[in-house]
Amino acid sequence: MAASVREKQTVALKRMLNFNAPPLKNSAAEPVWKVLIYDRFGQDIISPLLTVKELRDMGITLHLLLHSDRDPIPDVPAIFFVMPTEENIDRICQDLRNQLYESYYMNFISAISRSKLEDIASAALAANAVTQVTKVYDQYLNFITLEDDMFTLCHQNKELISYHAINRADIQDTDMEAIMDTIVDSLFCFFVTLGAVPIIRCPRGNAAEMVAVKLDKKLRENLRDARNSLFTGDNMAAGQFSFQRPLFVLADRNVDMATPLHHTWTYQALIHDVLDYQLNRVVMEEGAGGDPSPAGARPKKKNRKTYDLTGADRFWQKHKGSPFPEVAESVQEELDTYRTQEDEVKHLKSIMGLEGEDEGAISMLSDNTAKLTSAVSSLPELLEKKRLIDLHTNVATAVLDHIKSRKLDVYFEYEEKLMSKSTLDKSLLDIISDPDAGTPEDKMRLFLIYYITAQQAPSESDLEQYKTALLDAGCDLSPLNYIKQWKAFTKMAATPANYGNSGVKPMGLFSRVMNSGSQLVMEGVKNLVLKQHNLPVTRILDNLMEMKSNPETDDYRYFDPKMLRGSESSIPRNKNPFQEAIVFVVGGGNYIEYQNLVDYAKFKQGKKVVYGCSELSNAGQFIKQLSQLGQK
Amino acid sequence: MAVDITLLFKASVKTVKTRNKAIGIGLDSPKDEIFKRSRPKIGFSPKAKEVITNITKLKDFLLQHRKDYVSAGSLISSDLTRMTDNERDQIDQDAQIFMRTCSEAIRQLRNEAVKQVSSAQVKEHRGAVLDLIEVYLRGVCKLYSEQRAIRVKRMVDKKRLSRLAPEHHSRVGKTPEPMEEKTVKEESSEKSVSEVPNNTLNLWEEGRVEDELSPEEIQMFEQENQRLVSEMNSLVDEVRQIEGKVVEISRLQEIFAEKVLHQETEIDSIHQLVVGTTENVKEGNEDIREAIKNNAGFRVWILFFLVMCSFSLLFLDWYDS
Repeated sequence: MAASVREKQTVALKRMLNFNAPPLKNSAAEPVWKVLIYDRFGQDIISPLLTVKELRDMGITLHLLLHSDRDPIPDVPAIFFVMPTEENIDRICQDLRNQLYESYYMNFISAISRSKLEDIASAALAANAVTQVTKVYDQYLNFITLEDDMFTLCHQNKELISYHAINRADIQDTDMEAIMDTIVDSLFCFFVTLGAVPIIRCPRGNAAEMVAVKLDKKLRENLRDARNSLFTGDNMAAGQFSFQRPLFVLADRNVDMATPLHHTWTYQALIHDVLDYQLNRVVMEEGAGGDPSPAGARPKKKNRKTYDLTGADRFWQKHKGSPFPEVAESVQEELDTYRTQEDEVKHLKSIMGLEGEDEGAISMLSDNTAKLTSAVSSLPELLEKKRLIDLHTNVATAVLDHIKSRKLDVYFEYEEKLMSKSTLDKSLLDIISDPDAGTPEDKMRLFLIYYITAQQAPSESDLEQYKTALLDAGCDLSPLNYIKQWKAFTKMAATPANYGNSGVKPMGLFSRVMNSGSQLVMEGVKNLVLKQHNLPVTRILDNLMEMKSNPETDDYRYFDPKMLRGSESSIPRNKNPFQEAIVFVVGGGNYIEYQNLVDYAKFKQGKKVVYGCSELSNAGQFIKQLSQLGQK
Repeated sequence: MAVDITLLFKASVKTVKTRNKAIGIGLDSPKDEIFKRSRPKIGFSPKAKEVITNITKLKDFLLQHRKDYVSAGSLISSDLTRMTDNERDQIDQDAQIFMRTCSEAIRQLRNEAVKQVSSAQVKEHRGAVLDLIEVYLRGVCKLYSEQRAIRVKRMVDKKRLSRLAPEHHSRVGKTPEPMEEKTVKEESSEKSVSEVPNNTLNLWEEGRVEDELSPEEIQMFEQENQRLVSEMNSLVDEVRQIEGKVVEISRLQEIFAEKVLHQETEIDSIHQLVVGTTENVKEGNEDIREAIKNNAGFRVWILFFLVMCSFSLLFLDWYDS
């Protein structure tokens, strides 16, 4: 994996947009214009990777949704990027009949079946447009890459493959098959884009195992099919500089139920938890004023601002995993550097004015013009920096408001202590009955984590006490039913997950506040420092990558699609530790696990870890799913 | 990686065709195709394509002659590849005229596109196409101005280099130094400048009587000559430097002009907003005044009603008893 997944996908997209020819390096080439048409899946895939400006630079004049009303634009080639579903095919046939564009380049996100291809062919024949359909491609890009080393499967219809859908009691076999097929299809596209055949390991007895079996079968079939195997040819040779195959670890959400509910303290995870953050885009309401407007007046209009947090934003890349107080300080630092640079540029103005009349200025003029040129050319950079600083200040302020109003730092500290089984200084009941510490959802989350991580179940009377306290606070108790079931089930299967030792050390409050005269007033918020600890998923990965023997992972199944005969054994053939790994969680993932894996990869030099999940859900969405499951 | 299934598609087309033939569905005769192909040649996109081909021609022309244009030319290079200054100026002029006509054509196309009534999507598409062409033209113009800047810079550097040599010249005397062809003219003029005072001095010396030929006076005159020469040299030097700087400043000026134009549009929009705001505020004031009046009037009516009610009560009471 010399290039990251994101780069590979971007390269594939750019090639597709260039009429499926590799893009030329010549910057002053003739412009060729085209129209891009996508459906919602295509939109989700393209939007984290390419901005509108980049699309314009590649010659895309219009980008439209497939199912919108489109007017005919003659003599323009059109590039379609859609999923091969029934309705999309029908709409394409309709377009062909209406002769909307001059030529058509069809790109299907995942492989199209022969019968649907024939549908398009018959529509094209009927409309006499066969020559207009210039190229048809299977792109195999059915996954969404959010970061350099993180991907998720789908965003549009994620209820179909969510945790709720997989684990509900009334699920049918056919439904399960359909869900598994979707997941396996996307994973297959992922490996095709990556250009590598992995070694698969998965636990026994749950959804992850089913996915692994199907994926293994699909990869095997494709490798055997010598005529059009996707893993041979120059695709492989170009992208592969490592001779080792990556390790693909499939995990099920059931192995660790506490992490999705956990309150977080790192920047990206906080944004995902507290604000509306989807596909690298934050949507916030601006001007949410503190004091209510006087009676009778017109309500103040709140405008919604959208911010894109992209890979080009250096501050974001550096700090998305840092704890929140660090982020606040860094924003302040950036603001200071920006102000000094701005002052320099303004200073230049006074220099220019003074030295205009001096006779000897002509020789000095050369320096000044050079200075002026450099200042003018650095102006766009400065403006961009200012925009980013504004963005992060707004986002961080919004997050801070949430933290203060819901006392999220208290929750975080308490949960960390729960998960590391260290002594608790405050009783759980106190926190739950505290009226101004967090929303009912927060309290429910805290209680669920307590229930999950407790070594033995709390006694009945205690439980009743907690339940009444929770009901007083206004929580809904249905997730609890489901967690009780889950706990009973997992107790039978294996030992409960150990969350490792973690320490949470609150820093001296006053020293920090004195040091940073920052705008983001952090007083009243505890300054917590995270210590390195490993979540269950990271530990599983560690064991498998380093070939350590551990009762948890010893009976994981082993699949190697390249072997001639599929074996049922779970003895790995390969004894060396792996250098690259891909972790995939079936049933929902979150940024906390992702951050933990990134830290682990940094800690172990030279290992690359990619995190994937079937869908990204923050704690609120996960709780909703649990309550739906508990209501059955 | 992406898989090209165009051949598969063509195969399916054939299958469908044979199937249709078997079932007996009649195929449309392909005569409509010919009609469609001969679409009118006039229209937006052929014209746009024409502009692009023109710009490409300009770009090729510039790139082709770039090497000759930029080369400073050394003494030993052959005559064939060197360009005279005239040729260079000719190229500059032609390129400028060409670029102006291209931008004119783009502007015309834009006006046409706006005038023509078509759907919003087509308008957006055409606007974007014209933007792309403009960006392309700007890229080619940048090529040209880069070339030109390099050429001017080289000339300035050359002049500066050759400036140093005549200083030694006038002191030492006529030394045959290898000079570049370009600067032979200036050099000869300088030499003549330095020679003329010497000559006049010699003549003067020869014509004069011995009493004037004191070594101090000769030296004084020589010094004065040298001072004059150095003054002229420095002046010419400064002029050349200024010329180079002016080119740089013109480039900066271009950037600023662009920014100022951009600000102009923004200021216009701000102006509109402000005008709208003042109107809104005025209307708001009117509304408030009306509301106050209504409020007052309302109060009067309430009072009146209450008084009426009490009077009627009194009346009824008096009537009853």
